[in-house]
Amino acid sequence: MDEELLARSFVVRGRDFDRAGESSTEIKALLKELEIDPAVIRRAVVIAFEAEMNVVMYADEGTVSFVLTDEDIAIEVADQGPGIPDLDLAMQEGWSTATDEMREMGFGFGMGLPNIRRNADACEITSEVGRGTTIACRIKLDGDA
Amino acid sequence: MPDYAHGFVISDDRCVACLACMRVCPTCAIRVRRGKAVVLSELCIDCGSCLAACPHGAIVATTGSLEDIASRFAFKVAVPSPVLFGQFPGEIHADHVVQGLLAAGFDAVWDYGIELELGARATVDYLDAWDGPRPVINMMCPVILRLIQVSYPRMTEQLVQLQPPREIAGRTIKKWHADQLSVSPDQVAAIYVTACQARTISIIQPAEGGRSYLDGSVGIPQVYNAVLSAARAAARAEPAAERTGPELVRSAAHLRWATPRVFARRMQGRGYLSVTGLAKVIEVFDDIERGRLKGIDFLEGYACWAGCANGNLTVDNVYVSQGKLQALMARLPETDPLTEAEVERRRPSEDFSLEQPFAPRAAVHAGDLRERVRRVKEAERLAAELPGVDCGLCGAPACAVLARDVAGGAATIEECVFVSDERLRELRRLHGSDAADD
Repeated sequence: MDEELLARSFVVRGRDFDRAGESSTEIKALLKELEIDPAVIRRAVVIAFEAEMNVVMYADEGTVSFVLTDEDIAIEVADQGPGIPDLDLAMQEGWSTATDEMREMGFGFGMGLPNIRRNADACEITSEVGRGTTIACRIKLDGDA
Repeated sequence: MPDYAHGFVISDDRCVACLACMRVCPTCAIRVRRGKAVVLSELCIDCGSCLAACPHGAIVATTGSLEDIASRFAFKVAVPSPVLFGQFPGEIHADHVVQGLLAAGFDAVWDYGIELELGARATVDYLDAWDGPRPVINMMCPVILRLIQVSYPRMTEQLVQLQPPREIAGRTIKKWHADQLSVSPDQVAAIYVTACQARTISIIQPAEGGRSYLDGSVGIPQVYNAVLSAARAAARAEPAAERTGPELVRSAAHLRWATPRVFARRMQGRGYLSVTGLAKVIEVFDDIERGRLKGIDFLEGYACWAGCANGNLTVDNVYVSQGKLQALMARLPETDPLTEAEVERRRPSEDFSLEQPFAPRAAVHAGDLRERVRRVKEAERLAAELPGVDCGLCGAPACAVLARDVAGGAATIEECVFVSDERLRELRRLHGSDAADD
């Protein structure tokens, strides 16, 4: 069943490093409140956080949306950013276009997208140069009631 | 749901429902209902914040006394927290403290530095072998351990999944002294002399379940006077007093366990953090959960801001005792040959494994997913109706907490004074002022 039990969406502002991570923190709190399996929470939060950081680092603005169904969690992060010219390259561990400033803050080591894919049961990334990027992931709840 | 033991009781006679304890509780485990503070047992991590916050002395630590324990055992062995050695005036050395403990009623004092060193090495080995998420988090502070079980369930796997050294000491003491005395191990008591209440709880009810090897604990304040007077006498008799065995405290490494940076030296070349104070630990754990703390391999965290030296069962001023510990450490070599030899001898066969791993505390009756979603949505709807000022007069620490309690059926929305005038009248009656107003 794909019936939507609970949905949320958050706006993420680009280059606002002070508030970066807020939407993934809210998603985490919500999942905890829902008593979702901690291992599932961990994966969902990693996905939300990495995708959110990509928005903060590269785009002007984006949205994080979260949907819970009986079977899974869907997280979609969409931005109006520069887009990713070569997705295959971007998926390689260590590939990064981050600036020194981003790296100084502890981000941009080229692990974001690979990390997202690793933690998702299904992951679809679409990107158009000059228009933006959308990352849509699903995480199964599995054993969870 | 299992019943969780805690190290304090709230006296209904003394509690005036002032809300002080409820406001400081880091896990929102306290409610004030019908004019009295009550603890939600499954959320309490025994941090002792409420004890310190209560202005009416209504929250009292429960500790066993040495006499209680003495009546059950033929032979009592003290395992002194390293903190104890920094609690006395400058002229009193560790050996005098040992003599004080014997005078206070113990039959022997254990050379706990050996197990501490064994534990430190087992921890470093554990870290070396660990290939899961980092940082690995030390389990020495029972409050931090319980905080993770309650508030950061998914981080339990990052805990050092080993017995703490005090447990290894308990196990060894019973066997060794029983052999020496040719009695059954049941007749030998291993008693931890503790600087905090939380250690007591960890003995009564270990965080992983199962049973402690230690037979009980006494707080430093309970033995302090007896130890002090005998230790003073011993110090005065010096240098006439004859040494009967090796010194108990022989290395700085032993006393470093009374500081919050036990592993600093051992972690050179790795990402290492020492975090103290419950509020700061919570901040750092939030960062870990968000994946924001990168490059840290090992973290030791303590609920008390100066580490165990300001545990709630200490006597001396914490700054003074920190100074004493530093002075003692400065006089000692980092390691000593006796400890080294004993550690090398025991290390190959010493088993630090837990009978069962540290796991998250069971969730409070979950219900199926749809029921939980209903509850969360209901709580959100209710929270929107509440004023959001977190006044606490309803008896819950925040509006969001009341909303959650109501959604879960543990409270009613009429407990909010903004919602119900009757609640306000009830509070007026309860707290005496304007009692006959309406």
